[in-house]
Amino acid sequence: MRARDNFNFTHTIFLLLGGVALLFIFAPLAGMFLSVNAPNLFDAATDKVVGNSIIRTLIISFAATIISALFAIPLAYILARKKFPFKGVIEAIVDLPIVIPHSAAGIAILGLISRDSALGSLASSFGLNLVGSPFAIALAMAFVSIPFLINSARDGFAAVPTRLEQAAETLGASRISTFMKISLPLAGRSVVSGLLLMFARGMSEFGAIVIVAYHPMTTPVLIFDRFNSFGLAYARPVAVIFVTVTLILFIALRIYQKKRW
Amino acid sequence: MVKLTDILFRADDFTLGPITVELETGGYYAVFGPSGSGKSMLLEIIAGLRIPESGKVIIDNTDYTRISARKRPVGMLFQDYALFPHMTVFENIAFPLRVSRLNDQAIKITAGALAEQFFISGLLSRSISGLSGGERQRVALARALAHEPSVLLLDEPLSALDEELREEASKTLGILKKDGQTVIHVTHNRNEVTDLATRCYKMSAGKLALID
Repeated sequence: MRARDNFNFTHTIFLLLGGVALLFIFAPLAGMFLSVNAPNLFDAATDKVVGNSIIRTLIISFAATIISALFAIPLAYILARKKFPFKGVIEAIVDLPIVIPHSAAGIAILGLISRDSALGSLASSFGLNLVGSPFAIALAMAFVSIPFLINSARDGFAAVPTRLEQAAETLGASRISTFMKISLPLAGRSVVSGLLLMFARGMSEFGAIVIVAYHPMTTPVLIFDRFNSFGLAYARPVAVIFVTVTLILFIALRIYQKKRW
Repeated sequence: MVKLTDILFRADDFTLGPITVELETGGYYAVFGPSGSGKSMLLEIIAGLRIPESGKVIIDNTDYTRISARKRPVGMLFQDYALFPHMTVFENIAFPLRVSRLNDQAIKITAGALAEQFFISGLLSRSISGLSGGERQRVALARALAHEPSVLLLDEPLSALDEELREEASKTLGILKKDGQTVIHVTHNRNEVTDLATRCYKMSAGKLALID
């Protein structure tokens, strides 16, 4: 009742404008779901290539997120807590993957792992080719999505009062113990949000991956491949299945996150 | 015993000190002065949260000037109590015992004894968010004393409380005095420490002076 009383004319206008934004997100997805052909959807759902690509996408994105977290979370903490020269430059570097075209990101990563690079030639000496490998996919996913984790975790750490960390120190806790027992749990919600965002962003990446590893196919690449080779009718069911799987996964993870934090 | 010799600390355009003072073991020392006079800064220097530009911080005949806060025999009660909101009352009190790697049984016994001393035994499983100001103060005191510090620093311990809770909280501080705990209590309100203090100092513009 109280909320209704507070809903004034301005809020109504905002609601209408916001509704357009919401419709803009929802309408194309709803259209895609409604126009999918049932036999094609069944074929795609039972297609091993589709299933394998979804599993591959989820596993590689998950691995990329977890491994990146080992480096991203400490950086986020330093950015939240410390003042140092060129901090602004470092923050700008963190945001670079968001602003550069992802095809360009793919080219950059290709340069890092191609056979004539230091990393690529090292892998070659062990008989490995990094280009076209799950490792290349993970690198591409991590590159484009790591800013989401760093920025979210940094905001989370910044919101933890330094007083609590000082209190922990006066109670005998080491710096690492203070971080693990005080800072990280209190920033937990933001860190987990960042992990989820990174995981989601990595999973949906296409532009950078298609350059470093067309094969083995992740689902976004498979959707593109089906569209390019067979047309919309064959690409759409794969897209519908992938969107459904990711939606279920993220709703479940969000519910868990809300319960836990 | 806490001995400060020629402590000098500068932050932006504020200078604290030079301060030289010797506080005997078991005394209840009050430092009062207006906001911004450097009272909290002095406590933070003793606690090791700030390192002085010059001078020495000696506690129980050991020079702690360059030693980190976690290794000092000091407990501190912060103005806002700084209780850990993601932990229960028990976990807050047990925190210093856990980081010093005491076993679970010893932690339970020590935390239980402290809870009893400060009349919070019934609150041990409660979360911090549900506590009153007075309860928070007692939990923070129990936590600050859990690792048996030589000196306890109280930063405006009563300022976050309502008028009616102050008297009760003041009695809790009286327990410390009775137990012979060395206490340095900073406040902007001299009346707050009249009955408690064995010696009073006044802090003004970064200078410390003995009053009585």
